[in-house]
Amino acid sequence: MFHNLLVLIHHDILITLRQAYSWLTPLLFFVLVVCLFPLALGPDTETLNKIAPGIIWVAALLAILMSLGNIFRNDVHEGYLDLILLSSTPLTLLVFCKVISHWITHCLPLILISPLLGVLLNLNNTEELTLITTLLLGTPVLCLLGAIGSALIVSVRTQGLLLPILIMPLYIPVLIFSTSAMMAASLHQPLSAYFAILGAIALFTLVFAPFLTSAALRIGVNQ
Amino acid sequence: MQQPILTINEISFERNNTFLFENISCSLVKGDVLQIAGTNGSGKSTLLRILAGLLEPESGSISWKNKCIYEDAETYKRDLHFLGHQNGIKMHLTVHENLKHYCALTGITYKPSTINSIINKLKIDSVFNTQTSYLSAGQLRRLSLAKLLLNPQRLWLLDEPATALDSEGQQLLIDLISQHQSAGGITILATHQPLPLTVTMKKIQLGSAYVS
Repeated sequence: MFHNLLVLIHHDILITLRQAYSWLTPLLFFVLVVCLFPLALGPDTETLNKIAPGIIWVAALLAILMSLGNIFRNDVHEGYLDLILLSSTPLTLLVFCKVISHWITHCLPLILISPLLGVLLNLNNTEELTLITTLLLGTPVLCLLGAIGSALIVSVRTQGLLLPILIMPLYIPVLIFSTSAMMAASLHQPLSAYFAILGAIALFTLVFAPFLTSAALRIGVNQ
Repeated sequence: MQQPILTINEISFERNNTFLFENISCSLVKGDVLQIAGTNGSGKSTLLRILAGLLEPESGSISWKNKCIYEDAETYKRDLHFLGHQNGIKMHLTVHENLKHYCALTGITYKPSTINSIINKLKIDSVFNTQTSYLSAGQLRRLSLAKLLLNPQRLWLLDEPATALDSEGQQLLIDLISQHQSAGGITILATHQPLPLTVTMKKIQLGSAYVS
């Protein structure tokens, strides 16, 4: 069973890698948005440092939101969703695998490149580490929650801004605690409380979001 | 008189406040082949999706081995193979990866020897390592038929299975259904053109609902 799930994750990653635009678009969006700020605001390092948490986190959040519309789209077109729904493997597990592979292909590149962008915004070592930690704890939450919304509107043809409107309110806690952690880091305050809350949110969504996503998928597929 | 395995009891389905079909009933025993016929838009695919448990009917019930399919969905899913009008094939995986993926998804043990014999039988061995996005519609159909052979399910639900197949492919399909039938499996076909099967088929005609 476990081996089967690994095969599914591996294939999902392969599929994304074979369509480079699918994982490159959010990554490029993230990099471009963050790069524009130093150009627009001028080289004043203090200002840049002050607004860096907000810039990086908002850009990452939007980039991930952008990618989430695709998480089930091809599956619907290819009739693969029917197979998932009729599989004897629990739907929750299959959904969980999909979210894991989505995180690996769409969020991990953002996290890997974020230290470079941190340099651009004049972050010091502690701030860089805080940035990576908040992204590591926060991005899985964004994917897990986004999958619920994406599943719910899986049959809607022209989705437009439907997903952002549905999901954005749920993203606000992660955004607030992540950026607060980074601000606290720049003021040399203790960070453990922020990490604990982000970790708690991550664990909570990790447990409940797959169930909600599979329920949403059953509803969404017949709309 | 054989005990019916699949019983369809007075199924109705409503769309936009009009009935697409009403009071469809039928019972199938071992080795039965049922054709769901009807004009375009008469609800063949919808009925097939209801039979697969993907859609719930407005009223009526379906039971498999005397158990309602909604109450005992797990058993039903294990015995069922649904082939929709989309093939359920991942376009950016190769033929080989697709079959392996299907094995992983449905929990079948992956055996290279079985896979080899299946792809030879369906004559898709030459494209074994080709991404399915480069395959023709007929080859994709053959690949989806290959999945039917991967595990011996009791009930096949096939939506327009002969579409895009050449005459050789259609003959293969007919052979597959005959073999399935003689092994005691049940086949339900949604198709407007009758397949030249040697066995007698039951038939549900949609549009003007009657069962013969």
